[in-house]
Amino acid sequence: MSLKSLAVLLGFHVSFFFGSPSWADDINIYLKASPRLELLHPYSDPATLTLLVTGADGKPVAQGRVAIGLEAPEPGWFFSTDFPLVEGSRLLDMSLPLRQGRAEWKYLFPIRGPYRLNVEFIAPDGRKVNKTFPLAIRERRQKWFFLGIFTLGLFVLGVFAGRIFTGALSNAKRRAAACLLVSMSCASWSIAVAAQGVGQGKHFGWLEIDHATVGRPSKVRWRLAGEEKAESRDVLLTLTIAHLEKAKTVFSVERLPVEGEFGMNFQFADGAEYRVTAIAYVTGGQMIRTEQNISVTGVEPPARSMIPAIGFFLAVIAVGLAVGRWSRRAAPS
Amino acid sequence: MERTAAWLGVALPEQVLFLLKSGVFLCASGVILYVALASSYPTIHDTLHNFRHALAVVPCH
Repeated sequence: MSLKSLAVLLGFHVSFFFGSPSWADDINIYLKASPRLELLHPYSDPATLTLLVTGADGKPVAQGRVAIGLEAPEPGWFFSTDFPLVEGSRLLDMSLPLRQGRAEWKYLFPIRGPYRLNVEFIAPDGRKVNKTFPLAIRERRQKWFFLGIFTLGLFVLGVFAGRIFTGALSNAKRRAAACLLVSMSCASWSIAVAAQGVGQGKHFGWLEIDHATVGRPSKVRWRLAGEEKAESRDVLLTLTIAHLEKAKTVFSVERLPVEGEFGMNFQFADGAEYRVTAIAYVTGGQMIRTEQNISVTGVEPPARSMIPAIGFFLAVIAVGLAVGRWSRRAAPS
Repeated sequence: MERTAAWLGVALPEQVLFLLKSGVFLCASGVILYVALASSYPTIHDTLHNFRHALAVVPCH
């Protein structure tokens, strides 16, 4: 090895071990969720997520950006969530400028489970620091309770059937057995792009959204158009995405300082109607509102995600049948 | 030998008869559960959409 190569290798190792880590150690990235993560449930209320980046002195960094990537929980080992296509996919990718060391946005988590929020702080000189935050979202207790009631109902149904099917059938039992199947079906029934710019003056907003399909992110892009150099005008952008059927805000950023345009990759987690609204406050007092309704294509969940749930329910009925037979034999009438 | 039961004119051991009836019952239950919880027919899906989501473990779109 030549002396030149040795010097390059030595320089690399010195910079690797003593250069970047020491700077990275000085930078701290904090995440705050409001309300607290323990109080959040899928499709309940949007969480306000705030990132704070501080320097070695503990003060918020003056400038820089954060690149944010949100990954959905991986599929569970047995049961699926309500939205199996969302599991393990990327939900959000965007870059936000820091204001007084902070970046803030609202997000409505679509499913339960452990999310991963990857944050990369990018300093004005290009240096980067990464941090990953695990975010655990619990299912609503009400849903587990409802699942328990439904499971119990299937078990009781199995017990009754097991008792009826045990022993010779009298005419009355035969009628009861026939009614059982009919009542089961009755019981299950009773449970019941074109961009649109609104110009007001010299500028107008332009909203472009890729064809949205559940399971993969779509590009959402807003830009300022109109006068010359509109693309480089400083504006404060409020971007909101609302789920119309549930009447909930699923994502929003407020008064985000951007230079004429903003883009992100966003996954619409439900196959339903959404409204994307962008309100831009242009320097000089002009306010531009751009709005677009989009219909997200729902994708039927794969059959393999249905098998565990239906298999579980059938197993509960089978256990009920066995218990019904056992109870009938233990205490014959 | 267990007692036998006459059913549809065929005399079968009671245990076999129970298994047969239980099998038919489970098949019928499976079909009903599939139609109610997994089928994509718009009428059924729209009627039971909220119910499917309420169960927490039933996939929907």
